Amino acid sequence: MLLSFVQWIQLTDFFTAMRGSWFVYPIILSLHMIGIAFFGGMVLMTDMRMLGWSMRRRSIADVVEQFRVPKRYGLLLLVTCGILMAGAKAEEYYYNAFFRTKLILLALVAVHALVFRRSVYADPAALDRTPVIPGKAKVAAALSLVLWTSVACCGRGIGYIEPPLEKIHAGLHFVTEAALTALHLPIGPEQPMR
Amino acid sequence: MPFANPLNSSPLAFPILECFHIVGFALSIGTVAIVDLSLLGIGMRRQTPAQLNGDTWLWTLGGLILMFFSGLLLFSSDPDMYYLNWAFLIKMVFFVSAVIFHYTVHRKAVSSDTPASHGKLVACASLVLWAGVIFGGISIGFVNQGLRIS
Repeated sequence: MLLSFVQWIQLTDFFTAMRGSWFVYPIILSLHMIGIAFFGGMVLMTDMRMLGWSMRRRSIADVVEQFRVPKRYGLLLLVTCGILMAGAKAEEYYYNAFFRTKLILLALVAVHALVFRRSVYADPAALDRTPVIPGKAKVAAALSLVLWTSVACCGRGIGYIEPPLEKIHAGLHFVTEAALTALHLPIGPEQPMR
Repeated sequence: MPFANPLNSSPLAFPILECFHIVGFALSIGTVAIVDLSLLGIGMRRQTPAQLNGDTWLWTLGGLILMFFSGLLLFSSDPDMYYLNWAFLIKMVFFVSAVIFHYTVHRKAVSSDTPASHGKLVACASLVLWAGVIFGGISIGFVNQGLRIS
């Protein structure tokens, strides 16, 4: 059912047109990369600040609060471009192990946000008041660092897998043909004349 | 060929290097963008561009070094292809311009404590140059036929 859904998505006029153009996909991918530089850079700096590695002259509150809005715009760009690219090659990505892993990692990112939102990110000024950075903030930052780096690397991995769609389609066709033959039904008008 | 590049003996070497390349450019271009946004007056209002530059310059440099050396190794896997790929050549033009711009004009505009009048222009130019590097880099993979030398 999910498979027929992704096939339907990919075959909509919009995504068909996108696939047909030689320059739209590279442009969207480039914008996705620009999003990585923007969003990724700020995520790295925020996480490393919370680990006590970078921007130590600034308070954690200054870093977390001031990066919040730009990060949101960066994420919006990333997600928009990501959805456009995924839609254009929906069926291919459906079979792609790296794409599936990336989706799972993104789900974990959402869980991470839910878990640490209240205790860490909602009140970053509280993290500045303690003499040492609280452990929960460091755990949140380290997990965020690992998760986002893995997301980026999985994203790169997607391009290395090309599922043998033709074989898969041929296989499906073969199955239908076999079923039709078994039922003594004509296989289709495209059959060559004997 | 006198010797084989060990990078080409493992199919994993190239993708792993690419991951380092991605982290490198996120770190370098990301930190440059933070300073540029500040020059443009977007976000980060509690610090001056000079303060932010003081916070991030070392990370920018670290990211650049990581990006440069991982890129050099990526290039070494198939130098002829890259050399003949016009997207790669455009990328190099943007990259060299961006680095030179960053350590001359950009540095000057950022380091003065009084906001430079042309600060916004410098920030825009910096963002365009670095975006050009990214566009060029992505295009490498989409340019199937390199320049032809007859």
